Amino acid sequence: MTFSLLHATDFADRLLYKIIPPLKAGMIVLADRYAYTAFARDATRGVDRQWVRELYSFAVRPDLALYFRVPIDVSVDRLMARRVKLKFYEAGLDLGWSANPLESFRLFQGKVLDEYDQLVQEFGMGVVDARGSITEQQRLVRHVISQHLNITHTVEKTDDELV
Amino acid sequence: MTSSSDAPNEGANGNGHAGRYYGQGIPYLPLDQYPGKLIAIEGTDGVGRSTQIQLLREWLEVKGYGVIETGWTRSELMQPTIELAKSSNTLNKLTFVLLYATDFADRLEKEIIPALKAGFVVLSDRYIFTALARAGVRGVDRQWLRNLYGFAIAPHMVFYLNIDVKTLIGRVLESRGMDYWESGMDLKHGDDIYDSFRAYQQRLLKEYASMGDEFHFRTLDARRSIDRIQDELRKQVGIFLEPVEKAPEPAPKG
Repeated sequence: MTFSLLHATDFADRLLYKIIPPLKAGMIVLADRYAYTAFARDATRGVDRQWVRELYSFAVRPDLALYFRVPIDVSVDRLMARRVKLKFYEAGLDLGWSANPLESFRLFQGKVLDEYDQLVQEFGMGVVDARGSITEQQRLVRHVISQHLNITHTVEKTDDELV
Repeated sequence: MTSSSDAPNEGANGNGHAGRYYGQGIPYLPLDQYPGKLIAIEGTDGVGRSTQIQLLREWLEVKGYGVIETGWTRSELMQPTIELAKSSNTLNKLTFVLLYATDFADRLEKEIIPALKAGFVVLSDRYIFTALARAGVRGVDRQWLRNLYGFAIAPHMVFYLNIDVKTLIGRVLESRGMDYWESGMDLKHGDDIYDSFRAYQQRLLKEYASMGDEFHFRTLDARRSIDRIQDELRKQVGIFLEPVEKAPEPAPKG
């Protein structure tokens, strides 16, 4: 509960200082994670799903929400390749499902991904297949966003096409 | 979860049964019929809560009860953060509400529920009603607030120490004086702390009073002497904890 509420507090602070003012000024706000992260993560930690949704009812509904979907194995491989030290809470070690950080990460984040799959349906999020290359993903993202913003001119060519 | 079947998707409201969650509760901490009792003492700043709680605690302990106290913003996790946030100018009504809720959640999980499990009498110096009143006065949506506090446990008894603003002003000035937050200076009603205190506390008292029926407050007149209030508290608590026993002895006059 405290984990969930502290994140909501942080979110409320950013919403009121960093998100709403630029929106009022007509700017585009790119949010790296949004309330959906809390919905997925808190539910996995055993907090009531409906309660979390109502908790975040003060949030602005995004004009567009994109979910970068990746299988848990790919996620683990990428982190391991960079030799990232798994963070305590990211690995869900607070839940005591496994003393092994990697095993715990797999279990916890696996469940988080299941939650995200439900959110995609519930909130109509756009899904980006995040297994592909950065270039491929970026091309898709630019396409989706251009359409959304009604940008009619040709989408800028990506670096590899210019070579 | 034991309580959700009674009140699905409802937040804190008076329909909660004592000792159960008001709303959805905390799914990973289902409540059984715990032997402990939760008694909340509510009332605005300077109304005499802590004095009454101290006397009540001594009396209960002499009678052989295990007693723990818990109080607003006293959680280990949140107290430093809340103090820090209050000292800056960046707090807004939403983050204020959420910091309080986090503090409460920490105390609920780490202090209140374990103590109830172990059969303690938990005396709560303020409960969620203070949060509901303060946020209500600041214009936060009441239904959202009640949902937020749906994870709170309905106390077995809620005593509300009721006072009028005039008496309250006298008491606060005699003791520690008016402080920024207790005077609602953040609401920007003006630079005069006295006027702000009076206006803010007036609205707070109205807000508390409006919750009386909803949350089954046992209202006590806080303008009476400490001893008389304490007698009344002991009488009601005594009847609740030991229904068969005769009226308890009155508080020592001092």
